[in-house]
Amino acid sequence: MGLLAALPATVALFGLFGSPDADKPHLSDLQVALQEYRVEVSFELVNGFTDELFERIQAGLADGFRYDFALSRDRKTWFDNRIDSTSLEVVAKFNAVTQEYLVNFRQDGKLVESRVVRERDELERIMTRFSRLPLFSLEDVNPDRRLTIKARADLGSKTVLLLIPTTVNTDWVQSRKFRIDSE
Amino acid sequence: MDLRDRFSRHRKDNRWIVGGLAVLLFFLSLIYYTIQNSRDLPSDLVTNRVLLFALWYINLVLILTILFVLLRNVFKILVERHHKILGSKFRTKLVATFIGLSLLPGLLLFVYGSRLLHGWIDRWFDDSAVSSVITQGNAVSQELILQIQQTRLRDTARVLEQIRNADFERPARRPQLGRRLQRLLNELDLDYLAVFEETDFVHGVLNPQSGLTDLPEPGERLLVETLLDGQAVRMQSVGGDEGRLVITAVAEPHKTEGSRAIVVTGTVLDPEVATQIRELIQAYQGYRQLELRKGDIEAAYLLTFLMVTLLVLLASSWVGLYLARRVTVPIQALAEGTKRISGGDLDYRVDVEADDELGVLVESFNSMTGELQRNKELIEESNLELVAANKRLAEERAVIGAVLQNVAAGVISVDDEGRILTCNGAALSMLRFGEEALVGRPLREVWSDPERSKLVEILERDAGRSGRLMSDVRLLLGGEWKVFEAKVSTMRDRQGNVRGRVMVVEDLTELINAQQRAAWSEAARRIAHEIKNPLTPIKLSAERLLKKYRQGGDDLGEVLEEGVEIITREVHSMKSMVDEFSRFARMPRPQPTEVDLRQMVEETLSLYQGLKPGVEVKGQIGSNAMKARLDGEQMKRVLINLLDNAIEATEPPGKVTVSVHKLNGRLKIEITDSGKGIPARAKDKLFFPHFSTKGRGTGLGLSIVHRIVSEHHGTIRAHDNKPQGTIFTIHLPQE
Repeated sequence: MGLLAALPATVALFGLFGSPDADKPHLSDLQVALQEYRVEVSFELVNGFTDELFERIQAGLADGFRYDFALSRDRKTWFDNRIDSTSLEVVAKFNAVTQEYLVNFRQDGKLVESRVVRERDELERIMTRFSRLPLFSLEDVNPDRRLTIKARADLGSKTVLLLIPTTVNTDWVQSRKFRIDSE
Repeated sequence: MDLRDRFSRHRKDNRWIVGGLAVLLFFLSLIYYTIQNSRDLPSDLVTNRVLLFALWYINLVLILTILFVLLRNVFKILVERHHKILGSKFRTKLVATFIGLSLLPGLLLFVYGSRLLHGWIDRWFDDSAVSSVITQGNAVSQELILQIQQTRLRDTARVLEQIRNADFERPARRPQLGRRLQRLLNELDLDYLAVFEETDFVHGVLNPQSGLTDLPEPGERLLVETLLDGQAVRMQSVGGDEGRLVITAVAEPHKTEGSRAIVVTGTVLDPEVATQIRELIQAYQGYRQLELRKGDIEAAYLLTFLMVTLLVLLASSWVGLYLARRVTVPIQALAEGTKRISGGDLDYRVDVEADDELGVLVESFNSMTGELQRNKELIEESNLELVAANKRLAEERAVIGAVLQNVAAGVISVDDEGRILTCNGAALSMLRFGEEALVGRPLREVWSDPERSKLVEILERDAGRSGRLMSDVRLLLGGEWKVFEAKVSTMRDRQGNVRGRVMVVEDLTELINAQQRAAWSEAARRIAHEIKNPLTPIKLSAERLLKKYRQGGDDLGEVLEEGVEIITREVHSMKSMVDEFSRFARMPRPQPTEVDLRQMVEETLSLYQGLKPGVEVKGQIGSNAMKARLDGEQMKRVLINLLDNAIEATEPPGKVTVSVHKLNGRLKIEITDSGKGIPARAKDKLFFPHFSTKGRGTGLGLSIVHRIVSEHHGTIRAHDNKPQGTIFTIHLPQE
């Protein structure tokens, strides 16, 4: 009886806090390409560039995403497969006088690129779509190893119950397995 | 020292260690989190996010610390109550009160304060007037810029129309182009005007009044964008003032042949207008930022408020619990101490440091315990001594008991209420009393018969200041007269209080009989001697008469007369002696009558007044001794016999006194002299018949006295008078 009574409440809570997976921000099309010993990654952040984010940027707040990447060995039975990791910050800041968006790209805290755009679509595109982004060097990695890339996006933070801050992340996505020799 | 004592001793130190570790953990966590976030988060967002997370983390640590402190104390109280530790109920009440007093107001304040804060922030952003002004200001600014841009786009398009047919590619035409551009610059009130052939610069002119020193660089992106879209607009900086230069570019429509011309114009805005526009836009952006960060701001304020509340709660809870502990720990220790001490552990001391009234209480308690311990040790020592003394007493009592049981004299002791304490076998045997359970019973009840009650009377007599008295008593026991000597001593404790009496009874019957037999033997010997003494002169006189008669001398008559005289005298002497004995033997039994003692004494004393010069004879009659029941004649003879001896023994100057008193129902007659006294060797035989220290007389005087007194059921004693003389004391019963 108690379980049956608790069921509607559980469903209601799920409905309140849960949402369909398709609407959730996530990374898609994580592709890996090797340029000699350099790993290049292509991916797209879907549903990450929200109106709320754009509004914040439009208001002059520096805001954006942080993408985390991990290069790992493909060994399911081992707990520590990570070879290397890196992160890419993409932060946009709007200049309301010149009506331009300055987008800075920082890899591991180091500025690697700055771009100025004027349109929202372009802004969204450069912040969420990446093609052949060079991330890792495999010179010191055993070429026989099967490797994989994992990635996720840090979308910022929000507050729960008015005062509890929480970070908002996408799930980790994993690329196909690859070997240096096979490419 | 048990585990609890060790825990209590080091509890304070542990608390500091735990507190230190908590603070260290908190700061390490904060540092770790800050490092993590400063590395991972976008640099522009680090401050905001770190602030919120740091605040939340501090609050979380504070909440956990408060919960730890409260739950720890609740757990300790539950454990103490479960183990029924003394003072746990009191501590529960105190802790509950302190926690309630600190938590409830704090939480209420937080709830009320957070609602106020929430409402205040809501009202702040819901201020429609401010919002409207800022939004409208921004809109006006944007519209103004747009209008300027549109105007300049139109001007730029007009310039393009004017120079469209000019042949730019020929250098010879360039001066003419320059003049036309200068004219258009002046005509359209532009500050900068340039012509590009697609992305290649052709010619440009500048208004020297504009403040621009160099031709502005529109940038390839602008030109490309213009080619793509037909027109483009940019806002550029002039001399550091952002957005003062409005750049507009218009490109020729697409052509089938040749490159397309692009006209770029620039207008420098008035500095004041540009600044106002910029400030309006920035104000709007700032307002929008605040609006968008409302949640973060509210969260930051709430977290800060929560942090302050939690700090206050933590401090008040801690102080409350500390105060509760300051009160309860000494009380618990005192209760525990009381329990331990009531259980006999006087070595226990309350080891609690306190500098207030509780400290005084603890110190007093420890002093009291120390005093108790010292007293207990003294009591134990005294008890040991008492046990040893009791043992000695028991041994002594056993010895005394054995002595008493085996001593020939009868010993009876009574307490101050007359109850029998001891009565040995000799006493029971002498007094022909069965071996009953006598101890504890009143002596008067036990010996209630007329004969034995005489002993009780002796025992109850006032022994005077000396506490001793001695008396002879004749009892008819089992149809046989017995003579006892009873000596009574008063038992006193160290303070001089009367605790009882001891009576030693000696059966003098056999001794007296033996003495009497010896006395009678002595009397017979003396009588024989006395009779023999006159016989010799009688015999000698008779032989002398016979001899004279045979000689027939002239002096026969004279000798006859002399001899008859001697014989007659000696016979008379013998007759007197025989009469004396005869009277002693035939002495009648006393016939008691009411006698006036004063008269009797005075009559007797009158016989001796002036008899011996220098010797004073006087009488002392007590007022309570005027009358007595006794045989007056016999008692007068007693007085005469005793006074004869006293006056004879007293040399002038001297004094002889007769005193008569009644004491405890007994008549006491004392004849005191200041004479030479009685030798000690003579005292035992003083009342024997025919005993005399004078070397003359019959020696029956004191025997007669003793007999008369005895037949009056009284006693007579002779003892020394201090400093000189003798006292004869007669006690006569008067009931």
